Amino acid sequence: MNRSLLLALLALTGAAQAADSVPLQIELPKPLFAGTPRPISLPNLEKPRTGKRPDLMVAAGTVNLSKGKTVTSSDSLPVIGELTFITDGDKSGTDGTYVELGPTPQWIQIDLGAPAKVAAVAIWHFHSQARVYHDVVVQVSDDATFKTGVTTIFNNDDDDSSKLGKGKDQAYIENYEGKLLEGKGATGRYVRLSSNGNTSDELNHYCEVEVHGSLVK
Amino acid sequence: MFAPALRRWIPLALLFLLALGLRTYELDRRPLHADEANQAVKTGELVEHGRYAFDPRDHHGPTLYYAALPLAWLRGETTLAALSETTIRLVPALAGTCGVLLLFFFARPLGFGSAFLAAALMAVAPASVYYSRYFIQETLLVTFALAAALATQRWWQNARPAWALAAGAALGLMQATKASAPVLVVCALAAGLLVTRRRPASPRLGRDLALIFGTALGVAALFYSSFGTHAAGLRDAVATYTFTSERATGESGHEKPWWYYATLFIWEKNGGLVFQQLAFSTLALTGALLAYVTRQKFLGIAAVYTLLVFIALSLPPYKTPWHAVHLVPGLAVLAAGTLALIRWRTLAVIATASLLFLQLTQTQLVAFLRAADARNPYAYVHSSPDVLKIRALATAALTVRPAGTIRIISEEYWPIPWYLRALPEGCVGYWARPPADCDGALIVASAAQAPAVRSRLHGDYRETFLGLRPGFLCVVFTPAPPAP
Repeated sequence: MNRSLLLALLALTGAAQAADSVPLQIELPKPLFAGTPRPISLPNLEKPRTGKRPDLMVAAGTVNLSKGKTVTSSDSLPVIGELTFITDGDKSGTDGTYVELGPTPQWIQIDLGAPAKVAAVAIWHFHSQARVYHDVVVQVSDDATFKTGVTTIFNNDDDDSSKLGKGKDQAYIENYEGKLLEGKGATGRYVRLSSNGNTSDELNHYCEVEVHGSLVK
Repeated sequence: MFAPALRRWIPLALLFLLALGLRTYELDRRPLHADEANQAVKTGELVEHGRYAFDPRDHHGPTLYYAALPLAWLRGETTLAALSETTIRLVPALAGTCGVLLLFFFARPLGFGSAFLAAALMAVAPASVYYSRYFIQETLLVTFALAAALATQRWWQNARPAWALAAGAALGLMQATKASAPVLVVCALAAGLLVTRRRPASPRLGRDLALIFGTALGVAALFYSSFGTHAAGLRDAVATYTFTSERATGESGHEKPWWYYATLFIWEKNGGLVFQQLAFSTLALTGALLAYVTRQKFLGIAAVYTLLVFIALSLPPYKTPWHAVHLVPGLAVLAAGTLALIRWRTLAVIATASLLFLQLTQTQLVAFLRAADARNPYAYVHSSPDVLKIRALATAALTVRPAGTIRIISEEYWPIPWYLRALPEGCVGYWARPPADCDGALIVASAAQAPAVRSRLHGDYRETFLGLRPGFLCVVFTPAPPAP
């Protein structure tokens, strides 16, 4: 009897509590006012991780096909640098070794001269500062206009802002090693790389791009 | 064709329009600097709740905030959420435009042509234009200093009490703008006394000086006490000198070599962009030499004042580029003085036009084309345009999860609070270190805090990057949408 009464009381209390329950309101911390931020220097030239970058295995005889090859761009008259810098072999990233393209999505395109099987693409956008380039897309095609026969080997444009399709690859912080991408067996004469500004400014930069592979015979 | 009076007023009106246009065109284009955002949020509190209390530690004087009030009312912005970038930046923009006219009237002893040219050179000066579009105190301080100089000059000459009163008011406004105001006053007085050695014309010097200092103190006290509602502000107006001196002499993170301000007016190449004012600074330097040779008193005052300000700014290790605006009026007067001495009219016109053109191209570069570019010497520790995405990211996150929380977890996060000011009350929180519960509708963590935040998240999150400013990256965590 006593036990039943206790259970009934507990049930009633619980019901009353449920009826009165409201979401717990936790006040969130407000922003604290602060002085002028200090200039920081985060040269991203140090290794971002311990250990060596895992090797990318390619077929013997694979060579850098893009060295000295012709580069065209959606921004044909860059304010800073020349498009030739992209394939001149200088990836130091210092002033005078990179090309700066305007804001909004921009692309550069390397003409390999002949159809090739792409084993890997290495990209150095800009690595003298920690920054991330947005909506990086790398495509290979035999069509210079990239309307047909396009193979996408990298795409981190997760909201399709560049209108090249949504990508699932991850964004990455630029560093001296460059971004090394697998060619995924793509074949084509032209390699096109797109980007849409970066975390520091709205511009697009390239120090160097290397397309490694072998010509299709 | 025009009456003589009109021939003078029309160029002045055109100069006014040029100065105003350069200072007000597309004021909302550049993202807010952290300092601007800090002060904009404080202004929002004043606009919305009528609250303001002087902070002696990290902020300068109250005039900036109070000056924004009437503009906000005129533009119908009565809340922090409604307050716009254009409204707050109109404060320095209008002050900077007035400063150009004040320089013209102050430099009248040089003659109409030279005074006009000096004002024109200030109107197009890169530093002046850039920081007239920047919601900080510096341009207001320059303008109040010019007003004080003009009123003092007139009082010195004609002894009218009205000018003494005006000088006192302007000095009070200077003090209520920035604690460093006395440095400029001392430099100006020293320059005036060293060069002219002339006593004020006033027969009742004691009364007039009492009027000047009394008015100055009264005006400054009004602002620092938040117009009588915050008496502690008066104490803090004095206490701020402790923090100011610590910042000026200690390790502030803003230490630079003594020649830093000179480089801003000479030549700097950064990342392929060239920032230079060689012609302007050469003409100004020539003007200083001419002042010595010709014993032209007004040029002499400008030269000594500019030199003293340069020394005063360069001695402390603490340096920021916005202080350069205090050198512009003096340099403009000196450069105008040089150009005025060119006797051959055609050459004078060509030299003047070339100088204005060169200065305008530099102004276009720093204030419009590369206003937030890290290579721009005036865009100091500036927010990245990337930060403008935060509002859309937060709005999208709250659309998916209306009851969710936006968490900003970073050792530095300004100007983000400004961009999230319109979000519903209580849905955004700011942490310098990761809290125990990091989950939310959107989490923005600095790159340094991101690993700790990541380890405390539950469920799947998508990661992207957002730049707070060049070199300062944030990781944006967004809950992954449920699998279909």
